[in-house]
Amino acid sequence: MDYFFEKEVENNARGRVEAEEKVTGKAKYSAEYDIPELAHAVMVGSTIAAGRILNIDIANAKEAPGVIDILTHNNRPTVPGIATEEAWKKSRFSLPVFHTDKIYYNEQPIAMVIAETLEDATYAASLVTADYEESEFETNFKEERDSVETIETKEEKGSRENWQNADHIIEREFKIAMEVHNPMEPHATIADWKNGELTLYDKSQNVYGVQGNIAKLFDISENNIRVISEFVGGGFGSGLLVWPNTVVAIMASQHLNRPVKVVLTRPQMFTSVGHRPESWQRFKIGADKSGKFLGCYHQAKHATSSHTGHTDNITGLTWKHYHFPNIKTEQEEIPLNIPKPTWMRGPGDASGAFAIESIVDELCEKLDMDPVEVRLMNLSETDSQGKPWSTNYLNECLKIGAEKIGWNKNRKSKPGELKEGEWNIGYGMAVGFWNAGRQDADASIEMKPNGDIIVRSAMTDIGTGTGTAMQNMAHNFLGIPKNKIAIELGDSDLPYAPSQGGSWGLSSLSGGVAAACKSLKTKLVDLAYGSKFEKGKGNLKLVKLNSDGISMEDDSLEPVSYKSIFDKNNLGVLNVKASSSPREEAKKYGFCSSAAHYVKLKVNKLTGDIKILEMVSVADGGKIINDQAAANQVIGAAIGGIGMALMEKQDIDHNHGRLIGNDLAGYHFPCNADAPIIDVSFIDKPDYNRNPAGAKGLGEVGIIGCAAAITNAIYNATGKRMRDLPVTPDKILMA
Amino acid sequence: MKTEASNTYSRRFFIKSSSAFTTLAFIPNSVKSFFYQVKEKFFVKKQKIPLSVSINNKEYRLDVDTRTTLLDLLRENIGLTGTKKGCDHGQCGACTVHIDGERRLSCLTLTAMIPGKEITTIEGLAKDGKLHPMQEAFIENDGFQCGYCTPGQIMSAVACVQEGHTGSTEEIKEFMSGNLCRCAAYNGITRAIQKVAP
Ligand code: FES
Ligand code: FES
Repeated sequence: MDYFFEKEVENNARGRVEAEEKVTGKAKYSAEYDIPELAHAVMVGSTIAAGRILNIDIANAKEAPGVIDILTHNNRPTVPGIATEEAWKKSRFSLPVFHTDKIYYNEQPIAMVIAETLEDATYAASLVTADYEESEFETNFKEERDSVETIETKEEKGSRENWQNADHIIEREFKIAMEVHNPMEPHATIADWKNGELTLYDKSQNVYGVQGNIAKLFDISENNIRVISEFVGGGFGSGLLVWPNTVVAIMASQHLNRPVKVVLTRPQMFTSVGHRPESWQRFKIGADKSGKFLGCYHQAKHATSSHTGHTDNITGLTWKHYHFPNIKTEQEEIPLNIPKPTWMRGPGDASGAFAIESIVDELCEKLDMDPVEVRLMNLSETDSQGKPWSTNYLNECLKIGAEKIGWNKNRKSKPGELKEGEWNIGYGMAVGFWNAGRQDADASIEMKPNGDIIVRSAMTDIGTGTGTAMQNMAHNFLGIPKNKIAIELGDSDLPYAPSQGGSWGLSSLSGGVAAACKSLKTKLVDLAYGSKFEKGKGNLKLVKLNSDGISMEDDSLEPVSYKSIFDKNNLGVLNVKASSSPREEAKKYGFCSSAAHYVKLKVNKLTGDIKILEMVSVADGGKIINDQAAANQVIGAAIGGIGMALMEKQDIDHNHGRLIGNDLAGYHFPCNADAPIIDVSFIDKPDYNRNPAGAKGLGEVGIIGCAAAITNAIYNATGKRMRDLPVTPDKILMA
Repeated sequence: MKTEASNTYSRRFFIKSSSAFTTLAFIPNSVKSFFYQVKEKFFVKKQKIPLSVSINNKEYRLDVDTRTTLLDLLRENIGLTGTKKGCDHGQCGACTVHIDGERRLSCLTLTAMIPGKEITTIEGLAKDGKLHPMQEAFIENDGFQCGYCTPGQIMSAVACVQEGHTGSTEEIKEFMSGNLCRCAAYNGITRAIQKVAP
């Protein structure tokens, strides 16, 4: 089990670059900056699900001690990007917050109290009341979904007729509850608008995204906005968009000419920063006697908010990891009076994988074939456009995982055969798959005369280990020892980086870091050797940056100390900056990350309790830049998969259109005892077509497929097919 | 800023009247609304009381809003932001501190309850510039990702060892389950504690 712990990792003995700050409490998250004159703001939500505000009564609240002002749609400063219905639709911002009297969902922000202290603001917020004109609302996905037809997502491949007489055809329906990201750090913003300059300490996975969006909404120049998200307490997708809490904090700061802090309460975290939408899927699969897949027809519907859309590409995965000669996919969204959904870890694919990977398991039973074998014989050799995979080691993942959990030794193919007292034991498996993307990214390096460098990028680190990866990469590209490499990130004043999402963060950033390292080398050889250095012929690769100076690996030129280079050229510091984009040749290939998940669990015959006993994940994430952090990612995602499979569900009270689970006692995700020690391993083979580091993203594949691995194991234990997530004990007992 | 009403009610009055509140649930609505009106008139919403408290071996003399929790006192008033707020409801463990050496949730502790007690937060764990062995173990075993739950995890972990709940992986996991980690760095957290446990 123990890639994660026992393997000695070279140069990685003492953890992450920011580790000490995190274990001592020094790391500063968005709400924790000490700004003079800071005012505290608390938002008030609507108490109806649809209608119109007739009147907001703020009189009592205004009288409460410490209150500075209260913003509502009657008195807020105008934000051009949401000032009119037309502007709002154009801006595509999630809500015309405080710019409308319309109510689209329960707990929609209708007012915000700004006060001297948090206690003052919290108390006064409880005194704000509103009268509404209520209108009909719809929050019931199940009731609405049948009235809506699915429509084709892309042109059908082949035809459904080609496989209508297949030897084996199965058709099943699958349901997944609404899930909420709930990073441990509540979203928070400190907005400080002074003399036309706006500083935002904002919890975000994308500082440039926040900067660009806020510039458009407020119609100010991006140059006047600085966004800082140095430490981000988790995101899982909730920090990819700009949300109303950021916008109202800016409004308040502009209005009062004072820095203002808005921190969401945990209940507000359930309604303010997105969720994975509730979904329904129907999947039909056909195969011949030998187990070859002949075709599939995949339909999906998911909930969305009526006031602003969101699409989870649930049927996207269907085109990716298996080879189906015939594919038809259809989707539709069901608009409801609920807050806006958004991408949540493994968006679309995590939902789609539950259907595909479950039905393949069922098919294997019908075929009387091993689920690993059937998968191996149906893996796709090209991406959906027919391009060959640059690298795809899913087959190896499958084999290694099977070996590790003892698939062939321990598992019984007939369900219910392994028992231990009142427990049934079962094994299950499934795979995860994700496009390995890459985007443009810049990076810069500053070098001091003693050879210390600072590598900089605006990329955030939401816990993935971005900073440590930057340090590892710079060390690999340059040779400079790690203790001389400092990292700065999470700030829009730093070189451009895309959002940290979609598992492309590290992949993109490696291009930027590699390019900056190359510029630094070029500049240093130029200063040190001038024309003595023969350009081209891959000579730059021979240049080594040591701790105190530069040398050539083949000793063709004399070593020169940094100090003398800096002195000779009268330099205080040396700065380089470089950009990067995916390579042209990359267009020839398909790129993917993948994983195989294996689960052993037990199900209690009397209570329906499920206990995960073992979980093995083997992932292909290309070259692994930082073993511990990469493993930690996959562990976290796998445990997120346990949550998705067994626990996570947001209920809605359809009589009042209100969310029911709005705290961590009501909405469950795994605690320490809910998960075993997860066994993670990697293929660890580079894909240099993707980027100079050879790394492919790992954030999503860890969760995609996990839920199906678990429900397949539940079937193996009990003979009960669970197609409705989460599988709570009551569902087991009723099945 | 509004001027604040002075505190003219004794603590005894406060206790009596708050127990009157608890009986509210059984009173019909009209009486309730009457009571709320009375409450609006007679209750001072904001009172400040002088307190001296000891945090990380440092004495603080403060004028504290009686509504302030220990968590908000630390984070908003005295700049010790290492202790985290994950829920403010006693449901996540992010705010765990030591009160007289035992792990406690600072979001469920009013500041008014702590005079005379010794509070230790994550900032007070390292001694003489040297990290606590549990902090070292969290670093070495990568017992975190985003780090937001980490101070609470470490404070709980130190107590977990002191309480002697480290007999097995399962026991550690059970006794660390009051500290949620959405990043789910549970492998590393558990292993860090095993490395420190006797
Ligand atoms: S903040 Fe205290 S338990 Fe969550
Ligand atoms: S490390 Fe992110 S919540 Fe625990």
